[in-house]
Amino acid sequence: MNRLLLMSLFISLNIFAQSKPDELVDFSSIKDVLKSDRLDESAKIKQERSERLRIKKEQSRKARYNTPDEQDFWMVMSELWLVKNQQILKWDFQKPDFGLDTAFQDFLEKQGLLEKKFKILLVDSPTVAHFALPTSKNQYLFILSLPFIRTLDLSKLEISLLLMEDMVRADSELFKSHVRPTAKDLIGMNYAGSKLDIAKVEAVLKKYDEMILDKGFTFSQQFEITKHMDRSLKNNQELWGTYYRMIGKIDKLVKENTFYKNISKIYPSPELQLNWLTPAKSKDL
Amino acid sequence: MAQSKVIMVKYLNTPWGHVHQNSSRYSTSLTTVSCGHPIKVLEINKGWAKVVAGPYTGYVQDVHLSPKKIECIQDKYPRFFDDLKLEITQMYYWGKLYDQYVEGKSRLK
Repeated sequence: MNRLLLMSLFISLNIFAQSKPDELVDFSSIKDVLKSDRLDESAKIKQERSERLRIKKEQSRKARYNTPDEQDFWMVMSELWLVKNQQILKWDFQKPDFGLDTAFQDFLEKQGLLEKKFKILLVDSPTVAHFALPTSKNQYLFILSLPFIRTLDLSKLEISLLLMEDMVRADSELFKSHVRPTAKDLIGMNYAGSKLDIAKVEAVLKKYDEMILDKGFTFSQQFEITKHMDRSLKNNQELWGTYYRMIGKIDKLVKENTFYKNISKIYPSPELQLNWLTPAKSKDL
Repeated sequence: MAQSKVIMVKYLNTPWGHVHQNSSRYSTSLTTVSCGHPIKVLEINKGWAKVVAGPYTGYVQDVHLSPKKIECIQDKYPRFFDDLKLEITQMYYWGKLYDQYVEGKSRLK
């Protein structure tokens, strides 16, 4: 019995002599004793747990440097662009409640365009007549010029058709495909250990400028969009007629009013759209 | 004068938002708050919550408040938003965007 006590005392002293504070205890010398007590297993579990915690901490530290993923990137950039262009667009102003939310919502439901979330930002400037900024799937962010809709005296139905046209462009991802080559290094990336290249963000915003204020869409893109609208509206003659007359109004406006000349550059061109909408009619005649 | 009682605490659910002087989206902004900010609600009337945010008592659109803290975009990408180095006026206008949006959603019939 005494020998056993002496031995355990010796082992304990040996352990204390070998271990230093803040270090994991070296259990190798008492391996067999620990094994029979299953203490080595518990030490292993503790070690694994601490390793898992360390990895988790490191991952969450690294995740702080993530850039927005595909789902978030476009809305962040679109809103940042709106914020930075507040002075050009003049969207921070008081306007009456036109009931556009319910009118457009009803229109979408009647067209079978369900579960679509939208935000409309009315601007007090003719610089941008109408545009759908990129966002995530089934979400839409529209810019709509109040001077433009007032000059044309557009009805709620005509506004809805205009927004629907922008919606089709958004669904075709024409804007995104214009910006994506510049944005690809920013979407869903991680820059832990380096700095965010703010020049890349500026370059993306420049692409927005280019698309919205200068370049717009190509003739072939416009053709596809117009044909899509034609197909979608053809089964409702009244709606199709309203759309056709609205394009006619825009065509007249861009030819007569210098403020809106840019529209035919961004959406080339209302005159061609009218032609694309009517070829069958000319054949029949 | 009787003090209004806090009926609940809600959290801002837009990236930035404004506490307005009156229950109108065009009324003067008393302060800009960022997403996830806890806001004491005193009463809710016609879509507007009368709130206390820090030293200010004002109004926030109830639709911009959630009963639980949501995962805010700034919390999801904290360094990205830090490194954007947004100016105070930009945060102000980001909040203003949500006052100006006309929002809606088509539903399943």
